[in-house]
Amino acid sequence: MSERQPIVILACMVFQELFKRHLPPDLADEVIFFDYGLHRVPGKIASTLQMQLDSIKTPSLVVLGYGLCGNGIKGLRSGIHTLLVPRMDDCIAMLLGSRQAYKHQFAETPGTYWLSKGWLESGSHPLKEYQEYVERYGEEEALWLLDQMYQHYERLALVAHSQEDLERYRPEAQEVARFCQRWGMRYEEVLGSDRFIRRLIEVAQDLSKADHEFVVVPPGQEVRTEHFL
Amino acid sequence: MSRVLERLSTAILEGDKDKAARLVERALDQGVPAKEILDNGLMPGMDEVGARFRRGDMFVPEVIMSADAMQAGLDLLRPHLVAGGVELVGKIVMGTVKGDLHDIGKNLVDMMCEGAGFEIVDLGFNVPPEAFVEAIKEHKPDIVGMSAMLTTTMRAMGYTIKAIEEAGLRDRVKIMVGGAPVDAEFAKRIGADGYGSNAATAVELAKQLISAN
Repeated sequence: MSERQPIVILACMVFQELFKRHLPPDLADEVIFFDYGLHRVPGKIASTLQMQLDSIKTPSLVVLGYGLCGNGIKGLRSGIHTLLVPRMDDCIAMLLGSRQAYKHQFAETPGTYWLSKGWLESGSHPLKEYQEYVERYGEEEALWLLDQMYQHYERLALVAHSQEDLERYRPEAQEVARFCQRWGMRYEEVLGSDRFIRRLIEVAQDLSKADHEFVVVPPGQEVRTEHFL
Repeated sequence: MSRVLERLSTAILEGDKDKAARLVERALDQGVPAKEILDNGLMPGMDEVGARFRRGDMFVPEVIMSADAMQAGLDLLRPHLVAGGVELVGKIVMGTVKGDLHDIGKNLVDMMCEGAGFEIVDLGFNVPPEAFVEAIKEHKPDIVGMSAMLTTTMRAMGYTIKAIEEAGLRDRVKIMVGGAPVDAEFAKRIGADGYGSNAATAVELAKQLISAN
């Protein structure tokens, strides 16, 4: 077997357990996880990942455990490396297991507010926002603001790749769900799968298997929105 | 610029609805023409809100409050603007595309364009391509404006433009697009005539598209 390019994985914390479970021993220590909080500041995901990428001195295959994330990784430059990027809009698609599964969910209920382990722990959901806004603006104004933001949503959905995770995050998700009843949102749980993360790891070890589910960015180029369309 | 209009801009920026309304009334009492209050009081305030939001110096709740203050001012001015015979610049059919329920940004663009003298036909949110097509036939707008807030839904802008083409209506309207994940490159790729990065630039774009007609 010819010598393989070194592999480095840069992933969002939301996938920590999945990677830990599925990475082969020789890659287990090649993964760096980043805080979910990066999502809350525009431009922060790309700048943080860029810094990390630029600090890798040996030309490597850098695997991202990120989707496009609201254009969060747009503009990321590969430099001397090759990037392997999931051709996914965000972690919800990856937790569901495929782009098709996400599309299906979207078509059925466009007005879905998704909760995942990451979103629950990063503190970004309507109930947490309510608590923040009450402190800043007072009760009445806080509720009015949230009404403006969420009145059209129909469903609050907890997604996880495993039944255990659904159970683990259910109590907190249900608490959010009770608050979201204010807008008539119903609560549902969607069991995703670890399929995509397993594929990502497989493709990382044999880039010739990269198909339409992935974007491969050669050295000297950058991640662009159109790669994902 | 008069002191009261400067303070009005600040009230918009602070999202202080009551103050904005009081200052509009005061300016009217002082005999400042409604159009001037709009152009030099309300609009600059909201322009600044857009710029700060884009820079990450202002967040969604503050923008909503500013938009509400702007709305309050605009509501007070509207009868005066109409009485003053402000001419209609053009007509825009506006909507958030299929699959997307976000309408805060779109509503803001509506309001700013209305302030600039456009007639707005708002189709709301989660608007399927066919509804845009029907609205073009029915309302004969100069411009169609589309909004999307998610990378998952911005593709629907391309599908909508295709539907407009297939209906043979593409050369009758200019198309402008906007929303958080959208950029100029994407707008060009899907065949839109222009892209507005915030509500203020959307207004400028709409004016340009009209004058190019």
